[in-house]
Amino acid sequence: MTLDRRQILAAGLTLGAMSLFPGMSWAQARKLVFATFTGSWEEAHRDVIVPHFRKATGNADIALDPMLSVDMIAKVSAAKANPPIDVMLMDPGPRLSVIGQDLAAPFPVADSKNYQDLLPVAQLPEGPGIFFQAVGITYNPEKVKTPPTSWDDLWKPEYKGRVGITNMNSTLGTAFMVELAKTRGGGENDIEPAFAALKELQPNLGAVAPNPGALATLFQQGQIDISPGNFNAIQILRARGVPVEFAKPKTGTIAFLTTAHITKNSPNAKLAAALIESAMAPEVQTKLMQAPFYVIPTNSKVQMDGDIARMIAKDQEELKASFVFHDWSVINQNRAGWIERFNKEIKV
Amino acid sequence: MTAITAPGLAGPATAARPRIGREWTLALPLAAFFAVFFVTPLLLLVAVSLYADAEMTRFGLDQYIRFFGDAFNLAVLGSTLLLGVKVTALTLLFGYPLAWLYTRSGPRMQSALILVIILPLLTSVVVRTFAWIVILGRDGIVNNLLLSLGLAETPLRLLYTEGGLVAALVQVQMPLMVLPLITTLSRLDPNLLDASAALGAGPWRGFLKVTLPLSLPGIVAGCLLTYAAAVTAFITQSLVGGGQMLFMPQYIYQQTITLHNWPFAAAISIVFMVSVLGVVMLFNLLGRASKGYVHA
Repeated sequence: MTLDRRQILAAGLTLGAMSLFPGMSWAQARKLVFATFTGSWEEAHRDVIVPHFRKATGNADIALDPMLSVDMIAKVSAAKANPPIDVMLMDPGPRLSVIGQDLAAPFPVADSKNYQDLLPVAQLPEGPGIFFQAVGITYNPEKVKTPPTSWDDLWKPEYKGRVGITNMNSTLGTAFMVELAKTRGGGENDIEPAFAALKELQPNLGAVAPNPGALATLFQQGQIDISPGNFNAIQILRARGVPVEFAKPKTGTIAFLTTAHITKNSPNAKLAAALIESAMAPEVQTKLMQAPFYVIPTNSKVQMDGDIARMIAKDQEELKASFVFHDWSVINQNRAGWIERFNKEIKV
Repeated sequence: MTAITAPGLAGPATAARPRIGREWTLALPLAAFFAVFFVTPLLLLVAVSLYADAEMTRFGLDQYIRFFGDAFNLAVLGSTLLLGVKVTALTLLFGYPLAWLYTRSGPRMQSALILVIILPLLTSVVVRTFAWIVILGRDGIVNNLLLSLGLAETPLRLLYTEGGLVAALVQVQMPLMVLPLITTLSRLDPNLLDASAALGAGPWRGFLKVTLPLSLPGIVAGCLLTYAAAVTAFITQSLVGGGQMLFMPQYIYQQTITLHNWPFAAAISIVFMVSVLGVVMLFNLLGRASKGYVHA
């Protein structure tokens, strides 16, 4: 057989294309892809959930692909028949989109060892809750001498220009507004009191951050001293030596359940279920609760201790009593209008 | 010279024709790449923008009507285009002397200057933008300096203001302006300035009548690059501008990622793209007019 220039070129191009798109040649046998969250979440999941999963499945191949929930939805809905992700993590708002767009397969509850040990609020057959996130008041203890106890403290005149919030693009920003409405006679269906309260807050507002990550860095820069904040974001700053503390408002800590879902049409559905099983296991959740991860557990068998016991809840009873959950099915319906209004009305 | 390449062929004219045909095919791979990864998505974007509702069930011009029917949207578009103008004007103001200094320096100074100019390009935009958060923050360098000099009694709000954003964008986009300017100014014949001086023109007159007109192509190229980069600088706009200052890139992000309203996001993207193209064409017209001016 003789090779001419054209054949060599064609072979070269094919090889190049195969290395660019490896999926073309090995579509059926791929690793389990676990889409986790970015930053410290990825570290926590890589260090604790993945080893447990590999031990349970005889060293099954797994890859972590960290991104936001909304990006997972975008990727999976763009390739529904052959999704690039096997396990998705969802915040409560995006979770409803996943269920509404029929992107997730139900979790095999009947075969599960750990499912019935989850707190009732986390027992969701569409995809169980594997950890909680908590939103309370974040403050700089060097500047704010009396620890805040209520959301109303943000309105104190002494914090003029020192309060930070995020806009409503983030779950944090939207949940803060809903909670504000709730403490002032409104709720998921009546956001009016929150916008009225925000108008009164304007003299105190030092910054409206574009996202929760940017809000956290503002503490580091001394731009703000008090803000609504995510417990886990605060732990990262504390670990870096930034003076920040987390306080529970007396009306309750805003809580979101993060759920894990098996992607519909995943070629690795069995392994995906095994990964979620590992994420629910009490030994995994106990390890995740401790330093340096501080992930709030959903398994009722986990014994609370350390910072979580001190700052969030000393046991599951206190957790149930102090956590406030919002109705994201109502929030999702109204959110577009709220964001449009926030765009127009809130100027600093 | 063509006669040397001609043996065995009828003449230079026929020898040149097939060669042009083959050279043209060299552009095919890139053209195919563009067709698949740029033109197709762009057409898809146009198609998505023509859905009447967020659920994408029926077609209609509703998204465009919604955009142009609300003064708020036009204000966002206007402020984005204006932001680009401010950044471009300031970049030109600060970049031109730097480029001029470069062409007038000795070789050693030139290598030092080019390093300073290129250095920002070697770090990511995210890093440069974070540096600006440190500079502009309440405990930042600028505020500490103002306080210690007694020029301010309380820290000023610099971060999350438009002034801060413009300053950051000017620094971040500076190389895009300076590099084309250096190219044009280096090609400028120094004898022309000497001639104008010999004919009695002062330094300012020489600059306005000789250097400036001849460097217009570089100015236009630099302005084009800086403008396009400044209006679309999503990261810098959101990190230094903050969450309440809305520009088109964040608006598109908000509608796509947070609200899943792809048709409206696509419509805003098309409107934004056409507007920026309009401004770019204006720059190009200026460039063409300047060429006529120079040769006249």
